[in-house]
Amino acid sequence: MDQPAAALVAEDIHKSFGLLAVLKGISMVAHDGDVISIIGSSGSGKSTFLRCVNFLETPDRGRIVVGGEEIRLKAGRNGRTMAADRAQIDRLRSRLGMVFQSFNLWSHMTVLHNVMEGPVHVLKLPKAEARDKALALLEDVGIAEKHDAYPAELSGGQQQRVAIARALCMDPQVLLFDEPTSALDPELVGEVLVVMRDLAEAGRTMIVVTHEMGFAREVSNETIFLHNGRVEEQAPPAELFGNPKSERCRQFLASSL
Amino acid sequence: MDLTLLGWGDRGWGDEMVFGAMMTLAVAASSYLLGIVIGAGAAAMKLSHWLVLRWLADVYTTIIRGIPELLVIYLVFFGGGALLRTIAKGVFGYGEFIDLPIFITGMICIGLSAGAYSTEVIRGAVLAVPRGQIEAARAVGMGKVLRFRRILVPQVARYALPGLGNVWQLTLKETSLISVIGLVEVMRQATVGAGSTKEPFTFYITAFVLYLGLASISNRGFLRAETWANRGVRTS
Repeated sequence: MDQPAAALVAEDIHKSFGLLAVLKGISMVAHDGDVISIIGSSGSGKSTFLRCVNFLETPDRGRIVVGGEEIRLKAGRNGRTMAADRAQIDRLRSRLGMVFQSFNLWSHMTVLHNVMEGPVHVLKLPKAEARDKALALLEDVGIAEKHDAYPAELSGGQQQRVAIARALCMDPQVLLFDEPTSALDPELVGEVLVVMRDLAEAGRTMIVVTHEMGFAREVSNETIFLHNGRVEEQAPPAELFGNPKSERCRQFLASSL
Repeated sequence: MDLTLLGWGDRGWGDEMVFGAMMTLAVAASSYLLGIVIGAGAAAMKLSHWLVLRWLADVYTTIIRGIPELLVIYLVFFGGGALLRTIAKGVFGYGEFIDLPIFITGMICIGLSAGAYSTEVIRGAVLAVPRGQIEAARAVGMGKVLRFRRILVPQVARYALPGLGNVWQLTLKETSLISVIGLVEVMRQATVGAGSTKEPFTFYITAFVLYLGLASISNRGFLRAETWANRGVRTS
């Protein structure tokens, strides 16, 4: 039987910075509608892995397949891989929405223009259409009334919700979240998690690197625990949180719950 | 001081001085634009991965900033003419005496200098743009050209404008040095007027007023540009 291609496949991803091996062969498959949480202590490689998925970092080794299309690589210096086709990377990136820890909204554009920028200039959507779509998404994340404000005039929680709308406006196949609440004041974490929970319930495919164990446990359908650049344990959250098999995972959960 | 000397038309020097100011403005503006182009290129070279490019840009800024502007002018004026004649003779077999037009010579000299100073300004501004701004652009699928045009340039402008305003003021003043090769701008015109009327103070004070006028008007323009470039960041 023909199965639809997985939304995202990462296979045997390796990455070193200088002599430091950060990722030592990580694999992951996300099907449509999956919400996968990646947890682990800092330095475990979880952010680097996420950044390798959309080539913000170039993996030294491994395969990445987005919606059935494999990112073409070629051998670069030192036998490491590099992107063979920049245009392909740009196109696939536009199908992977990314939400950063530090929001990274473009500071010289208003909220509305931040959200419209990609659709208009990358997807070549007509401006009026992009504008309507952007406003609708800003409405969804509860921040439509601020559409004329600049990012610097918003709280962290508001900025992160705008960043989520910006990612959504590209109609991405998969949403990547890189510790989306780690830079927020504690009282602002909730408003972002609510939005993310809504997205998960709407059936969005999400890969979430997070320290929010509550979110990982309640919202995701798969949890990956990384340790020292390897997948130490992978299971549905009920299992991983309820009955962790690896000693390291148990220790990590004990210290972070 | 005899203000009738500054009358308009055949009898006074007023119109000549104003045309001189326009020439100053024209050569300053074209040198400045050339300087920005050179500066952007040299800044890109300094930020490049290639050692040779970095080295070349370093040589350029070190030389131009290290030697007097007047020397640059003499070198380009005499050297440029000789080079042009050599090329004309060697390649086209043209043996008559030719020279670079002085406006072009002046523009090249002042442009080289403006370029060297704006190189450092632009390089610093590029480094000041937070990494995340560019990463967000890459993550949304923008290619190099789009990232440059939509994200990098507006943000670099924000950090570079104060420094580039400074370079403009320098450029405006340095144009006075071109008077030595005979371009009739404010300084040259004032010297000529002073010499033929024996009223140097009248002419130099006029030059003073004209330079100050140009400087303060353009300064206001730069302040406006800065306010625009900083929209959404600083409210003042």
